[in-house]
Amino acid sequence: MATKNPHIKMWNSQSERYRMQPTTNDSMQSFEAEPDEEGFVVMLERVCEALIFATDEPISADQILSVFHEVTSVATFTEEAVENAVERLNAKYELTDRMFKIHRWAGGYRMATVKAMEPYLRTLFQESRKKRLSRSLMETLAVLAYRQPATKPEIEYVRGVGSDYALRRLMELGIVDVVGRSDTVGRPLLYGTTQRFLDQFGINSLDDLPNLREIEELLDDPAFKRERARLIMEHGLIQSTESTKASD
Amino acid sequence: MDNGMYRVQLQQFEGPLDLLLFFIRRDELDIYDIPIAQIADEFFNWVRVLEEIDLDGVGEFIYMAALLINIKARMLLPSPELDEEGEPIDPRRELVERLLEYIRFKEASEMIGARQEDRASRFTRRAPAEVEQYDGEEVLFESSIFDLISGLRRVLSLAPESPVHVVSTEEYSIEEQQAYLIVHLVPGVRTSFATLMSGNSKAFIVATFLAVLELTRNGIVALFIATTEDFFLKRMEMDGDEESAYQNVEQPV
Repeated sequence: MATKNPHIKMWNSQSERYRMQPTTNDSMQSFEAEPDEEGFVVMLERVCEALIFATDEPISADQILSVFHEVTSVATFTEEAVENAVERLNAKYELTDRMFKIHRWAGGYRMATVKAMEPYLRTLFQESRKKRLSRSLMETLAVLAYRQPATKPEIEYVRGVGSDYALRRLMELGIVDVVGRSDTVGRPLLYGTTQRFLDQFGINSLDDLPNLREIEELLDDPAFKRERARLIMEHGLIQSTESTKASD
Repeated sequence: MDNGMYRVQLQQFEGPLDLLLFFIRRDELDIYDIPIAQIADEFFNWVRVLEEIDLDGVGEFIYMAALLINIKARMLLPSPELDEEGEPIDPRRELVERLLEYIRFKEASEMIGARQEDRASRFTRRAPAEVEQYDGEEVLFESSIFDLISGLRRVLSLAPESPVHVVSTEEYSIEEQQAYLIVHLVPGVRTSFATLMSGNSKAFIVATFLAVLELTRNGIVALFIATTEDFFLKRMEMDGDEESAYQNVEQPV
């Protein structure tokens, strides 16, 4: 190990921060000139692991890189390098059967235990029930997630009911917030989802939300419209139909 | 309605679009060919029952009932309205588009919900303050509240009419009816709501229905829906530990 990673030795020999070429501002060149580029790749991987391990919220590739830069003066790595490092870490975890993995949530990296350990963690944290939002909250949240930023009347039009209660609860839970004011008459408040929403729902960014089905297309397609509308109905309501059946 | 009654708010459950979808599902209607006349009449009848449950929250349903009647009237016009290209406009089109749009978001909310469930099964390091605050308040039953109200309507229709000239002074609080249910339900045994309510007045039945919703929400009672005419209640076995009731609440309904 020691021979493969020369900078470990340097850390030991230098009590101060380890610097490659502290005076050059073009660190790219100086870095590429160095023989141990591979060593830095390994180092980045280790730093990623340590930082992601120690934080209790998603840490972005940017943050990792700026920490790495500040300590080592190496600024040549890109977000892609972080992504690769995390991929290698996850591969190692899987290979060695670790009970955790690094996820990409809310635009950052976060370590979390694997699903198989759920019962044990639930017991540890004394969470006897799965926490779920009521249907009215989930639907309001869905409208907001896809339509944001949206005003209250816009949300209410889709669901056909008032959204005061739902919005208030979602804001209390910190997954929705006021994000501004509309330019339309009366300048109504605009609502949107928060970073916490992404983190709590395991979504990296709003672009990663599951795709909404294109109903407009269905409406304009005379050949398939009836059949497909029927399919949507069945699919969309399958859960409630199933749960209507008596169960024991 | 008096004091305790306000706690059940319809809009916390479902709205007028959900009621339309409930009819469509129940009668296996073609969403592109909704029999508006029939649906408008039935919708109006349902609004009367909904008024019993939550008078304040029924406004949106009345608005929808009016819209349905408007569509029904337009469909009876001798010469159909035409669009810019001279094509006849189906007066139902806007409503259908709205229903489809709503279904689309219902689907999306299920997908996002599945994401959340998956995410919640993976634990992270966390500060104690981060322990999530989704509390028991949010635990509601899985099926549509209209499945329950469908049973309630039937039970109400069997209730004896109160004498016309007697001013009704009957008032029941949700608290009283919760206590009534706790006493009358044997833990672990399913009881039919219709049987339990037979012979009682409408005011009694409505207050008890609201108490059922409250107890279900608290995980003390589980609901089973078999038909559109009735549903069953089961009081959870407590073992002196409230947590055990919570664990079971998700399974039944």
